[in-house]
Amino acid sequence: MINVENVSFTYQQECTLKGITFHIDRGEFVALIGSNGAGKSTLSKLLNGLLKPASGTVTINGMDTRKTKSSTLARHIGFLFQNPDRQICKNTVADEIRFGLELVINDKALVQQRLDSTLQRFGFNPDSNPFQLSRGERQRLALASIIAAEPEILILDEPTTGLDYSECTQIMNTINELNSKGVTVVMVCHDMEVVLDYARRILVLSDGRLLADGSTKEIFRAEEVLHKASILPPQIPQLALRLGQGFENAFTVEEMAHSLVARTRPQFFEVKEDAI
Amino acid sequence: MITIEGLTFQYKNSNRNAVEDVHLSIRGGDFLGIIGESGAGKTTLIRAINGIIPHHLPGDYYGSVQIDGEDTFDVTPSAISLKVGTVFQDIDSQMIASVVEDEILFGLENYSIPRDEIEARLSGALDAVGISQLRYRNISHLSGGQKQKVAIAAIIALRPKILLLDEPTSELDPQSSLAIFRLLKELNEKHGLTIIVVEQKIMLLSEFVKELAVMKGGRLLLHGSVRNVLKNTEQIGKSGINCPRVATLSNRLTELGVKLDGVCVTLDEACSMARRLMYD
Repeated sequence: MINVENVSFTYQQECTLKGITFHIDRGEFVALIGSNGAGKSTLSKLLNGLLKPASGTVTINGMDTRKTKSSTLARHIGFLFQNPDRQICKNTVADEIRFGLELVINDKALVQQRLDSTLQRFGFNPDSNPFQLSRGERQRLALASIIAAEPEILILDEPTTGLDYSECTQIMNTINELNSKGVTVVMVCHDMEVVLDYARRILVLSDGRLLADGSTKEIFRAEEVLHKASILPPQIPQLALRLGQGFENAFTVEEMAHSLVARTRPQFFEVKEDAI
Repeated sequence: MITIEGLTFQYKNSNRNAVEDVHLSIRGGDFLGIIGESGAGKTTLIRAINGIIPHHLPGDYYGSVQIDGEDTFDVTPSAISLKVGTVFQDIDSQMIASVVEDEILFGLENYSIPRDEIEARLSGALDAVGISQLRYRNISHLSGGQKQKVAIAAIIALRPKILLLDEPTSELDPQSSLAIFRLLKELNEKHGLTIIVVEQKIMLLSEFVKELAVMKGGRLLLHGSVRNVLKNTEQIGKSGINCPRVATLSNRLTELGVKLDGVCVTLDEACSMARRLMYD
């Protein structure tokens, strides 16, 4: 589905990505992580053809991004910018969603059908002014505009930045639902709790290179990789790393609680009155 | 030092109160974190403390905000800004110079700081924030974390007693976010600065701040020490924010019948708690 082969990219003589190679299959949920300046956003823009590799190849469903028009790639890939205000350009919610649809679909009836179903799915008022919505709502609108076109691949550049916990959960649950229906998700994300909760595979970038590629659990147990990439794992995996042997499989609150209960000395258990 | 009594504010052309009947006392030297979902009134509260409300943003204003006994309603925003420095949410909109040094000098010169004092203030602020090496750098070439530090240095140079920050880490990676909070802690502990920070990352707040305020729908829902606030799992849940996972873990262990001394709010505490449960 997505094939990145020995890709390098340079911004104004400064090498941003060096020799990146990986493959992503249909239906995967992949997180791109790394510190600021590691090359995550650049890589995400190479995946949708907004940027073309200086060397190496990026192929999407067999299409080389250097030889394929961005408009053709856009029929397969939806890209969510970090800041929704860079994406929203119309004065009503309905026009915003319609705008994206009309760029990729010629059939007016189909555009209207997709618009109606998207408005219903997200519960938007079609006449609302996007710029009067909250940041979280604008992010949902940007996402709605993209998924209305039913792309096979979603590339998300920090989709939860600036959102509160409820907004973050709402956005991520929508993305997760799409992924469960077969949409491939590639997400740049700084929030390691979100990565742990949703991604099944992690690509770690450091200084423009692919430092590690593994399952979410493997990466959050790989202390050396995390240290090299200046990444702090989520709290529970961090606690598991500190506690060492016996906690290798504790990634969630529930897993950690049960691992601890199994090792807690008897004097620390409450004696229930009905047990006496 | 800061006394907020019955503060209610409704923006012009809005049909609901952005903050409603907020009572809050913040002592000198406090490090307060404010958290809450979007629209909870956090930024409005910050604006009421630095005088942008009511002086620059029109609306219906009730109650009072006093800083060192002076009602902000009766004092000009420029006078307030000598005591209260603000780092805004959108850091790029705050930067007006192209070079770090000029950014810090801008405030000092506009406040008519005597010429012979300027160098000491400039180098002192750069040093306090740990960015002396960036003095002559172009701001547009800096990372998000470095820009955030420049914004803080520009405020520190004016020597305010109170520092307000509105989501200073929203665009930063975890390491840069940690660096900013370590800096804030140092400014609070070593330099005695009163710090009020609006932040969505509960894990950072629970590790660094002394007091926590939770807002919802314009109201102050909870306020107190981080530990006392995070004990209120039901109200925290209703407020639309998440607990640090170590706090959720200790609450879950209690549900499973494990006797704990209290809720863990930091990773270090959770680690100590786990070791105590398992070993002599």
